[in-house]
Amino acid sequence: MSEQIEQALSRKYEAGFYSEIEAETFENGLDESVIRRLSAMKNEPEWMLEWRLKAYRAWLEMEEPDWAHVNYPKIDFQAISYYSAPKSMKDKPKSLDEVDPELLRTYEKLGIPLHEQEMLAGVAVDAVFDSVSVVTTFREKLEKAGVIFCPISEALQKYPDLVKKYIGSVVPRTDNYYAALNCAVFTDGSFVYIPKGVRCPMELSTYFRINEQNTGQFERTLIVADEGSHVSYLEGCTAPQRDENQLHAAVVELVAMDNATIKYSTVQNWYPGDEEGKGGIYNFVTKRGICHTNAKISWTQVETGSAITWKYPSCVLKGDNSVGEFYSVALTRGAQQADTGTKMIHMGKNTRSTIISKGISAGKSNNAYRGLVKMGPKADGARNFTQCDSLLIGDKCGAHTFPYIESRNPSAIVEHEATTSKVSDDQMFLCQQRGLDPEKAVSMIVNGFCKEVFKELPMEFAVEAGKLLEISLEGSVG
Amino acid sequence: MSQWLTKVIDVAQENQDFLAPVRQQAITQLQQAGWPSQRAEQWRFTPLTPLKDRTFSHAQATDSVSVPEIPGLDAIDIVFNNGTLVTSLDELALPQGVSIVSFAQANAQQQDDIKTLFGRIKPQAHVFGQINDALSHHGVMIDVADHAEITPVIRLINLTSADSDNHTRALVKLGQHSHAKVLEFGQGEHDSMNTAVAEYSIGDHASLEHYRFAFYTANAKAVGGTHFKLGESSNLNSTVVGYGSQLSRLDIDIWHSAENAFAKLNAIYLLAEGELFDLHTCIEHAQPNGTSEENARGIIGDGARAVFNGRIHIHRDAQKTLAEMNNRNLLLSRRALVNTKPELEIYADDVKCAHGATVAEIEGSELFYLLSRGISRQKALVMLNFGFIQELVNDIPNKAIASWLQPKLSERFAHMEVK
Amino acid sequence: MLSIKNLHASVEEKDIIRGLNLEVKPGEVHAIMGPNGAGKSTLGYVLSGREGYSVSEGDATLNGKNLMEMEIEERAREGMFLAFQYPVEIPGVSNMEFMKESVNAIRQQRGEEALTAAEFLKKAKDACKQVQLPLDFLKRGVNEGFSGGEKKRNEIMQMILLEPSLCILDESDSGLDIDALQVVADGVNSQRDGKRSFVVITHYQRLLDYIKPDFVHILAEGKIVKSGDASLALEVEKSGYGFLGKKYEGETA
Repeated sequence: MSEQIEQALSRKYEAGFYSEIEAETFENGLDESVIRRLSAMKNEPEWMLEWRLKAYRAWLEMEEPDWAHVNYPKIDFQAISYYSAPKSMKDKPKSLDEVDPELLRTYEKLGIPLHEQEMLAGVAVDAVFDSVSVVTTFREKLEKAGVIFCPISEALQKYPDLVKKYIGSVVPRTDNYYAALNCAVFTDGSFVYIPKGVRCPMELSTYFRINEQNTGQFERTLIVADEGSHVSYLEGCTAPQRDENQLHAAVVELVAMDNATIKYSTVQNWYPGDEEGKGGIYNFVTKRGICHTNAKISWTQVETGSAITWKYPSCVLKGDNSVGEFYSVALTRGAQQADTGTKMIHMGKNTRSTIISKGISAGKSNNAYRGLVKMGPKADGARNFTQCDSLLIGDKCGAHTFPYIESRNPSAIVEHEATTSKVSDDQMFLCQQRGLDPEKAVSMIVNGFCKEVFKELPMEFAVEAGKLLEISLEGSVG
Repeated sequence: MSQWLTKVIDVAQENQDFLAPVRQQAITQLQQAGWPSQRAEQWRFTPLTPLKDRTFSHAQATDSVSVPEIPGLDAIDIVFNNGTLVTSLDELALPQGVSIVSFAQANAQQQDDIKTLFGRIKPQAHVFGQINDALSHHGVMIDVADHAEITPVIRLINLTSADSDNHTRALVKLGQHSHAKVLEFGQGEHDSMNTAVAEYSIGDHASLEHYRFAFYTANAKAVGGTHFKLGESSNLNSTVVGYGSQLSRLDIDIWHSAENAFAKLNAIYLLAEGELFDLHTCIEHAQPNGTSEENARGIIGDGARAVFNGRIHIHRDAQKTLAEMNNRNLLLSRRALVNTKPELEIYADDVKCAHGATVAEIEGSELFYLLSRGISRQKALVMLNFGFIQELVNDIPNKAIASWLQPKLSERFAHMEVK
Repeated sequence: MLSIKNLHASVEEKDIIRGLNLEVKPGEVHAIMGPNGAGKSTLGYVLSGREGYSVSEGDATLNGKNLMEMEIEERAREGMFLAFQYPVEIPGVSNMEFMKESVNAIRQQRGEEALTAAEFLKKAKDACKQVQLPLDFLKRGVNEGFSGGEKKRNEIMQMILLEPSLCILDESDSGLDIDALQVVADGVNSQRDGKRSFVVITHYQRLLDYIKPDFVHILAEGKIVKSGDASLALEVEKSGYGFLGKKYEGETA
């Protein structure tokens, strides 16, 4: 039976194509001059350059973290190019009509049409291609509502004060090794500002695409939801299939002011490398949000890609009654390695957090949940509930759980539960006896296992995530 | 390097015996690794600063030692005082089927037996285990013959006087189908230090009833370990009780080295004001069809800190393993702190594995029920808090030990305040 | 319909079925009774293709097709339905989505159009009503948290939905009280249409009061040792399985 399951799991990566687009790419290597050049190209204010340089200098002093349950050869940071952009983007296109058609075709191939009339109404997209934002849709409609949704490079020009106020306020420059690197060399990303009391009229989303070889992608996303506002944001990621590893070190910062809600969903499908672990993206990401009084941040992630995932979307529950949520599905197969989880830092009174993590390991992969729940001395009446479930498929993979719990408050309650299961022969037999083929059976059982998380995804994405999982689990049957 | 460790290494190099090669290996490792950094995962939550630059006098054994009396307990006592074996083993009345020999008196054959156990069950990479390897010139080997049923409880008692240190070793070998009961007891006076290590090899189909009571308080320091190797279809039932002190750390390792073994570990810790207790447990399921059940429960008083790191590691071959671990903690004050980490590392797919950890206050409805019956709030909290510890006390197989322990814990708890 | 010739099957190298012959014609109901360990459940598993059950000799055909050459799901699509003695739980997968996939996989095999969501829902609701399962069971995970009786009724519900040509009921009566037994039997009887065949595996005669068999076979030590009509079941009920030999004395039916 397990052979059938294995077979059902052999997957092909559908986003693995490369687009022939003429690009302007920096020479490999990193020093202060690269950062100055990058900053100058983007015409950044002086303080931004200073900020980057400070981060760079701090990074030089820092050590690469080694505590995660992952193994990979040392990264040569001088062998990476820190900027690559389609040539056609040099004079920023004013409208979609001026965008290189090859770029638009790339996104279409990925199932993300950028022509507004073709899109699902209700989703605005910022498309980031290598180091730059290519296009942002539905801007007018959003502007009417007072919502700012633009590339962060543009925000630095148009709303420098807003950016200056919040950038680095949640993830400090020296937070960790990869975050510091990102601060020094980030190229683009999305900026979102939702004014007081505004409910963002549509879902916002960013699609990240790595295209060029030997480039790193270092994007930075900053979302500020002012008092009483509400926003739902989605991100998706893909990359071509290559034999070399590529680095993706992003930083995402969320600020939820009093009574604001931010829902942040990710469907991560970077190229995972081949069965033997050759190639694939190193996905080293820092994501964190801060919740002020009565605010809520909800992270939902479906992680099926990347050779290595190192990512802990976190919530700092600073304000009283604030709420943090983390819903995660991480599927690893082949030689993939994932070390992912969350941190819930309870500072305010009556803060609440929920963590639901579903890890699925197959092939020779290793899948680890790592999380921290911290109850500060002032977090009276705070509550956390954590559920970590692992599903093992085959006997060559590993599933691991490393939950750290720290409490300093006698009235805080922390509950952690973890279970491990497998796709049982009995389940497979029942499904097949009812006429389902093994592939469908596995994908159905796995989808059932993930249900609690999928139901948290916005509709459009839930469908996509389900499909992604199905593709990931798909075998020879087309 | 710490002053203390430097002294340890100096002392260790002066004394040599038939275990010299193993001891030398430990010394080399200590020299290479040096004093553990607080960033090391093993010591993240337990600062070693109280020990780092201390020096201890090498005290002689005192003339008389007071051994804890457990009423109604049929016991064989082996007492170590300040690192010296003070019991005259020849004078012990031992039941048939068990032999006890000290390292110093071991004959050639016994020395060989000791060598096959010493340091073979304990995991290598643990600084204090290595320190004990280097310094434990006083130790005993307890050998239980195949099929022997030893009814008295063999007590290994470690007592340390003020400002002294104590590094002893016990090696326990249970033959096939045998049964024995062993209680390890440790207590230290003002500013003492103890690193007692015990290694158990439990033979096929053998069963061990085990206790380790780490009754260190105030600034009596202890970092010790108990390490079990389980043979096929063997059975371990262990109860650990820890008080907290300035530095009290215990490592328990359970290694399912053969199929079908069963291990049960219950741990209780009660930490009064300002104390620390750090319990690291690791269950290695290396072979199929093993079962382990672990329950660790603690109450943490004002300004105290509990650290629990429970690890379950299921190896590739350990199919059909059943492993459960549960950790419950109650904080009595907002100056109390708990760090708990129940970890799972699983490489086999056909296993049932679950763990849970809770940090909680008492259920409002339970409290309400007691209050509504006219019980004072303070008293009600005490009653409710103690209940979940009491469950583990009730689970102790030896009634004499349970009855002796019970009032000790209650008394200790009575002095802890709910703030 | 179903034709079994000299079937030999083993589990973990232990021979369980040792030369079994059985002919089931369209519309017939065959009861297979026998003492514990006779190989009753094994027969159901072997016919449906469960892994771990190997056939060393003989063959079995369904509608003329060799069952032993087919995958589990192919047999199901060919019209074989096994009502499990111990239905397994599939957490998170709702009964509804499970059955929808199943119904459509089988319809596709028959060259029929897939059912629309609305059509399917109507059928599913009807099937639920027939076995007196509340409709919210369709939304719940497959067998997740169901009681023993609910699981058995859920099996019959699935049988009604899938419209198989051959139904094998593996101890569908075990663990049921009289009321639940009646519900299960009514569900089964409603599906008797003169074409659909049934193999009813049971230890006890009592089920056969509700599902009237055309033929009764006694299975012991892997073979059919006695065949007859419904009266054979009553006979076994009266005198037990003792007639099979000393080892079975005192075992009632």
